[in-house]
Amino acid sequence: MSAPKGPSLATLLMAFGFPLFVLLAVVTGFLIAEQGGLAALSVPDEDAETPSADAATLARGEYLARLGDCAACHTARGGKPLAGGRAFRTPWGTLYSSNLTPDPEHGIGRWTAAQFRHALAHGVGRSGLLYPAFPFESFQHLSADDADAIFAWLRQQPEVAGAPPENTLEGLAGWRPALIGWRMLLHRPWALRFDDARGEAWNRGRYLVEGIAHCAMCHGERGRLGALDRSRRFVGGRILGQGWVAPPLDRESLAHWSRDDLAGYLRTGVAPQASAYGPMAEVVGSSLRHLTESDARAIAEYLLSLPPLPQRPAPPARPARQTVGPASTALYEKHCADCHGRDGRGRARVYPPLDGNPQVVASDPVNLMRVVLFGAAPPTTPGNPAPHTMPPFADRMPEADLLAILNHVRGSWNNDAGEIPPYQLRQARALPLE
Amino acid sequence: MRLFALLALMAFALPAGALPDLDDEAMAERLAACAACHGPRGEGAPGSEYYPHLAGKPAGYLFAQMQGFRDGRRHYPQMVYLMRNWDDAWLARIASFFAAQPGVVPRHAPPPVQSAADRSRAETLVHEGDRGRELPACASCHGPQLQGREPGVPALAGLPTDYLIAQLGGWMTGARHSIEPDCMARVVARLDPAEVRRIATYLAGLVPEPDSRPLEASAEPLPLDCGGATRFDPARGVAP
Repeated sequence: MSAPKGPSLATLLMAFGFPLFVLLAVVTGFLIAEQGGLAALSVPDEDAETPSADAATLARGEYLARLGDCAACHTARGGKPLAGGRAFRTPWGTLYSSNLTPDPEHGIGRWTAAQFRHALAHGVGRSGLLYPAFPFESFQHLSADDADAIFAWLRQQPEVAGAPPENTLEGLAGWRPALIGWRMLLHRPWALRFDDARGEAWNRGRYLVEGIAHCAMCHGERGRLGALDRSRRFVGGRILGQGWVAPPLDRESLAHWSRDDLAGYLRTGVAPQASAYGPMAEVVGSSLRHLTESDARAIAEYLLSLPPLPQRPAPPARPARQTVGPASTALYEKHCADCHGRDGRGRARVYPPLDGNPQVVASDPVNLMRVVLFGAAPPTTPGNPAPHTMPPFADRMPEADLLAILNHVRGSWNNDAGEIPPYQLRQARALPLE
Repeated sequence: MRLFALLALMAFALPAGALPDLDDEAMAERLAACAACHGPRGEGAPGSEYYPHLAGKPAGYLFAQMQGFRDGRRHYPQMVYLMRNWDDAWLARIASFFAAQPGVVPRHAPPPVQSAADRSRAETLVHEGDRGRELPACASCHGPQLQGREPGVPALAGLPTDYLIAQLGGWMTGARHSIEPDCMARVVARLDPAEVRRIATYLAGLVPEPDSRPLEASAEPLPLDCGGATRFDPARGVAP
């Protein structure tokens, strides 16, 4: 008896393998096209093109490099400017910024203008695919002229020999070619086009916000594998690797800001509505303080025009208002009222208001807890060279008193936020300060 | 309204980053965060056993320490967190403010009791050093009463024991650095941990005079080359 004769392996492969192969090829081709096509992945060859380096170009390059805050990420603390090596903690391990000085060995000394433009536009550099910690999703919007000006300015900076430490990323994240997969699934280039229906200033503001200033890197919501969701790029949320929340940016969240106040805040770090603390203090102190007044106003105009997006619903909590009483009022008046006022209205540009302050009533109150626990200081800027500070209270009173004060400010005046439970305060205490 | 416009105009007429004139009260108001651990005028805060006082210390020393926290030569997360976005001009102003405050008699708990033998060994090292080990006396730079020296050498008398041990230990383990040449790193490298404890306990037990001020800058070179102790510019601090 012979076994019933089934289809041979070759027949099977012909029947299923070939269509499967075709399907795979089509899907791969489609996804490669979606992430910018093969052109995005191929770095331009060497060319002799030298961008113009006249004084005006260099000045523009320097201004843009400051707005892009290149030096903040590409300089280690106390290290040589732009020599790289600043550590970025991510859920996948630690990443170190690269050397941006004109050093031929470790920096961009051998790069051409076309290669620099390509890296900004596509996130693919001379040495290969770049991690999305480099904000190419914003820098793709830079004009070629502006990219060239930045490159020209960088080329004039002092050379620093030396490579940053090796990244310590785990699993697939540590294998650079895997970024192709990441890009196929998650990177979707898009273009800004001048909106004729809006004025010059609004378009300039959008160009800066969406491009060089890369606001979405912190103010956007990160989804799968750390990718920014384009449709939720100003929705706010926890900043990756840092115990801070970036507030949402849209006309409803910013309804209590005037255009002048917002423009002033960007340049000075203080406004009647808020002072810049934490990561925003760094951004203002090293970057936005250099904004021209007209660019600051352009950014404010654009931000105040953005349509609001639905926030993630906050988990239900007991209203903090229920904890407000004579005991919490006495604590508030003893420790807080001298500066923030019994009415919680603060003092314009000196002590931020607490009444109606979105950071005070935020559903994720981490910024409020941090500022009360560890204190806070706005950056020094030409417009605010001698800033007022918030003292740290972490070791000055028992936990119960800290909670009473926190919940007092969340439930007093017009504020009606949820109560902070003790465990949340303990979590905030454990946050890294640096 | 007109007055406001005028004031605003004046504010913009200032050169970029120029600091306004601020009296002591205005400075103390701005530095509420410092007061929590160091006292409103840098005199030390009750219950803050570990934290050093700042009042009356040489401005160049205070400036170099703040710059060190900001730029990564010194490590204390709470300090770094509060100062990392401040420029040199503001740090120099803060240093001058605390330096100008009256010297203080520290209020922290007395140091642990020291045996007579330990005390005498510490006293010898502090005031005479040890030629055999090329170890200069603390007093040769920090002053015969350990009252400090302009512009960059701090007073040591009466600092908290724990604080002194932590700082000397920091140089020993490489956690604390001064501007190069880092003379204190070289001094501490010649000490052993038992000596560090002995010296710290002895220094913590010295009670400075109520009106003690740092010595004038030395005309002679100090026994060691110290990068952090050279010069101080009240408008800009000093470049490392």
